[in-house]
This record gives sequence, C-alpha cells and structure tokens, in this order.
Amino acid sequence: MSYAVARSSFTTNLARYAQSWGLWVLLLIAPVAARFMVARDDGFGMQVAISGHLPVMTPATLGITLGVLVSTLLMPAGFLYLRSNVTRRQPWQIEEVTGASRVAIALGRFAADVAILFAVLAVLNLAGWFLSWLVGSGPLDLWAITLALWVVAAPSLMGLAAIRALVDAREATRGGLGETLFFIVWLTIIAVPAALSMLPSSYAANMIDMLGFVRPLAGPGPMKMGAFSIGFTHVLPGRVPLDVMAGVQAAGYLASRLSWAVLAVALAALAGRLYRPHRAFRATRQPGRITRLMAARAPVTVDLAAPPAPFAANGFANLIKAEFRLIGEGRPFLLLAGVAATIGAVADYRQFGSPAALLLLVFGLSAHGARSETLRALTRVHALSPTMRRVAFVIAGTGWALLMALPGAATHLSLRPLMLALAAGGGAAVIAIVLAAISRAAFAPRLVLLMLWYGYFSTGA
Amino acid sequence: MGMLQLNDVSKAYRRKQVLKGITAGFPVGLTLLVGPSGAGKSTLLRLLASAEAPDRGEIIWDGRPLPGARKALRRSLGYAPQAVELPDDLSARSFAMHIAALKGLELAAADAQFGAIAAAIGLQDDLNTRIGAYSGGMRRRLIFAQALLGAPRLLALDEPTAELDRETAHKVGAQVIARARTAVVIMTTHLADELAPQAVQVLRVDRGMVVPA
Repeated sequence: MSYAVARSSFTTNLARYAQSWGLWVLLLIAPVAARFMVARDDGFGMQVAISGHLPVMTPATLGITLGVLVSTLLMPAGFLYLRSNVTRRQPWQIEEVTGASRVAIALGRFAADVAILFAVLAVLNLAGWFLSWLVGSGPLDLWAITLALWVVAAPSLMGLAAIRALVDAREATRGGLGETLFFIVWLTIIAVPAALSMLPSSYAANMIDMLGFVRPLAGPGPMKMGAFSIGFTHVLPGRVPLDVMAGVQAAGYLASRLSWAVLAVALAALAGRLYRPHRAFRATRQPGRITRLMAARAPVTVDLAAPPAPFAANGFANLIKAEFRLIGEGRPFLLLAGVAATIGAVADYRQFGSPAALLLLVFGLSAHGARSETLRALTRVHALSPTMRRVAFVIAGTGWALLMALPGAATHLSLRPLMLALAAGGGAAVIAIVLAAISRAAFAPRLVLLMLWYGYFSTGA
Repeated sequence: MGMLQLNDVSKAYRRKQVLKGITAGFPVGLTLLVGPSGAGKSTLLRLLASAEAPDRGEIIWDGRPLPGARKALRRSLGYAPQAVELPDDLSARSFAMHIAALKGLELAAADAQFGAIAAAIGLQDDLNTRIGAYSGGMRRRLIFAQALLGAPRLLALDEPTAELDRETAHKVGAQVIARARTAVVIMTTHLADELAPQAVQVLRVDRGMVVPA
C-alpha cells in the first residue's frame, strides 16, 4: 500500500509540475547562467579561478564549473521554485485525515521534486555540451562533462529537495522561518567546505562537503587556503591546467557523493516521520501578558450607527498611509524598528544601522507584498488599481527605511544615512513587490532579499 | 434598461463557451442569479464586477459602456467573490483597512463603518483576531463585510451565505436587502427561495444562457 501511495504522490505532483510556467523559467535560468559562469579570457563574468588564474577549459573542467554554478546560484533558485511552484498547495485537509503513510507521501513528492531538478540538470548538461564546442579546449568529450557535472550536482539537488521536504514538515518552518533556515544552511554548506581543501582526501573529509565541488577543484592532496576562488574576482593573465578527474577519483570522494544521495532520500523519509498536520484554525487561548502587550490593538468599541465611509480627499496619499501601516503591522515590528533606529543612531550607520533596518524591512516588505498580491482576485476591481498600489507600496517601504535612518542622520549630522536608506529601502521595496507579483507568495522576495541583504551586510563590514 | 446592462455578452475559457450571448438589465434592487453549479453564475458576476472583460458584447454602467465607464463602475462597486485567499497574518480590521484604502475611502470613517457592519453580521468580537484563526463561516462574512465598505451603488455578491448557519445567513440576507433599497445588488445564493420575494428579479443561468426563473 505504501508503494502505491508513494507512486500516486509522485505521479500527481509530477503532473502538477507540467502546469508550472515557473519551470520554464528555471529551465532557462540554468543554461543562461552557465554562459556567464564559464569565464572568458578577459575575466568577464563570474568564474572559478585556480591560484588566481582561470583554468584551462577542458571538458571535465567545464563540467565542474557548471557543478559550481548549481551549488552557488541554482540552489537558492531551486529552493524558491520548490517552495513557491504549483505544488505548494497540497490537499492536506484531505490527506492528513487518511491512513496513508506520511513517509510514502513525502518520498513520492521528494521523487517528483528530484525528477524536476534533474530535468534542469539535464538542460544544463546540454548547455555544457554546446559551451564545450564553443569555448572548450582539447577534444570534445561529452562523457567527461556529464560525469563531472552530475557527480557534483545530482546529490546536491537531491539534498535540496530533502531540505524542502524537511522545512515543509513542521508548522513552524512552513513560513518565513523555513526560508531563513535554508539561507543559513546554504551559506554554511558553501563556506564550511572551503576549509576542506586543506585536508587530504578521505571519506570523512569529503562528507563535510555536501555540495561536492571542493575536492575536484582542490585535487586529492591538501591545498593552500585560498588556492581557488569563486566569484567576480580579478584574475591574472594565462590559464592553468586543472586535473578535475584526479579530484573526482580521489579516495572517498565518489563514496561521499553516493552517501549524500542516500542521505537525501533518508532525510526525505525523515521529513515524513517528522510531519505534523497543518493547523487550520489556531486555537484561541487566553492570551498571556506578552501576547497582550504585542497585540496589534486594544478591543474595539463598535459604533453601530457609523455612516458609510466617504471617499478620501486624496485617495493615493491615503493608500500610501495604509501601505505604510500594513508594512509595519503589529507592535513587534514597531519595537524592532525602534531598536534598528537606535542602532543607527549610536553605531556606524552603514555597518550596523542600515543592515539592521534593512533586515527588518526584508520581513515586513515580503509579508505585505505577498499578502496584497494574493488578494489580486479581489483588489483588481477597486478604484485604485494594482499598479497604483504597487507604487504606494514602494513609497511606503522607502518611507520606513527613511524613518529608521532619521535618528542616525541626526546624531551623525550627515545626509548619508538618508541617502543610503533611500537607495537600499527603495531597492528592497521594488524587488519585494516585483517578486511578490510574480510568485504571489512571500517565499521568493524573502529569500532573494535575504541573500542581497547578506551581500550588503558583508560589504559594509 | 437597468443601471447595469449587458448586451449580447459572451465569454469563453480556452474552448469552453461559458456565457453565450447574454442580454439582461439590472435595475436598483436585488437580482438573484440561480442555476446549477458550473452554469456560469460566477463568471457572469466577474464580468459584472469588471474583474474580466467579455469576449463579445458590451456592458453598460450608468448609460456608458465599459471599458470607458470602468473607472466609474469601480468607484461604485462592492465585490465579494466566492473564493479569495485571505491574509491569515492580518487582523480582520487591518484587512478591512487595506481594502478601504484601495477603494479610496477615508480610513478612520471606514474603520468605524466596518465595526458597524461586523456587528450586524456577528463579527464584532473578532475584529482584532488574526484571520488565520477564523472559521470558514467567519471568512465568508469577512469577504461580505469588505464589499459593503463605503456606499457602493453596485454590489456583486457570489454566494455570501455559503458555509453560514441559518441565523447568520439571515443576518447577511438582512444586510443585502437593506442595501438593495438604494443599490444594484446582484447575488448568487442557496437561500434564493427565501430572498426571492424581496428581489426585483430572479434570473436563471443555465448552460451559459440567462432566462427569467
């Protein structure tokens, strides 16, 4: 019976993926990003550099370069897609009261997710073959590209699908906390294995590297810290050879990749075991002191004879005011906004105040952007159009950033905090509303803004 | 000819013809739309609310055809669709203020009006409760309440009494009848038999066509 449940879960989810236009975007992202990831001799684009030089682009090197692309750029894009695509709405009201095994359901959905991610990988593989013909060195070896790409990327993508299953298993991580956790895990699995390159190859050492790209770049032996770099870095002229296959065939590497694939399946099964039902209606309990303190407003006194509300003198200004309130909904937000403003006033604004304010805004903007876009079926027929609402949203979001920057500007006697707030707050608001409009969910804007925030925070230090 | 008039209106989704050459007038008062599920009632309401445009034919509001009169229609409209994904993390009151702002209404007055509407349909104790804690019936009433904000001259209500117990459904019905004295109210409901005596017309939608019931 469990096999039948898993198979049904797999085929149902796979059929639903066929209705997803986002899948086409994902299928497009991979090969387009691949073109920019394979650096030209002038260093244009994002690149993998070995000891400051670009590697000779053999077929295996090309495959590993594409594998790095999957580990860095495609992981968050894939997570966003898995969380916000057409399968995000499951018939849990019905499923959760059946006797079907949650492990079987989780494994079926995991298999469908993996199938989709592997389809993206297959497209990337095709792009790799084409790029090898275009920019590669040496004889065309399609098998070497495929092996180097799949051995790195396939277990990584299975791990990604397992993470999705895990964060969807519990109520607490089905929302914003899930994205935040993924963001932290992603940063960790990228950053930690860099230390691995200084260790000789072994099964244990390679298991630290979930994304699997370090050993093929570092080779079987220990490597000096910083011997390879990934990103928009300056490169020296000339290319150096890179023996990718030596790393792939190093002791314990292939076993570690296989182990990660098995572990991903085990994690998906664990997600089924950990699964807890959704809460359709949150129980109304006697609110505690903190809950009362944090409650949005005091009890309402209703005026039964209240007349119909008239039109506002300036509807657009009125809308900006409402958007401003809704972005900053609730006392916790107001409290944290006060904290962020204080940090900006007492510490360096660029280094601490601005990131603190922006981090708060990431959550406020993505939450309100998503909720207003999901209401589009209702709000598209209102007097103020969705476009006007989006403009009001951006103005209100920028307004919050400016408000939190004011104490910093006053204490530092400088306009710089306000300029930074204008640029960062305005940019974040635009990104939030665009991504919310496309995805109609908070997942995409929240995760993308968190990643951008991290970049902003890191460059300010 | 009513305040709202449909002339030879048709609508299809992909290859399925949902509405077929509908001509009907909607005067001030209550118009009930009845008919079997899938007959095209909700599609007709969406067209009347300007949420979608017809493939053929014209919709006239206050003597002017859409899309030219769309802005005027939307300023006069209260719309309660059958299914809306409500924001679970907002309180009912915050949600209502969001809608009031989009309708261009003065916020403090809209807040007071929302309280009065909520009291009339039994939601007054839950105005500051997060919508995530609302039951299906409470959500249905909230969708209805937001449609009444302001002074709409056109109300398009898609099953506002669904999921409600009889007593609460009657409270909603009373609000509908009160509004129908001064506005064009077009409504689909399973309480058609009880509201029919109060209606200026009952139209039957069947297989994409409209006939008097």
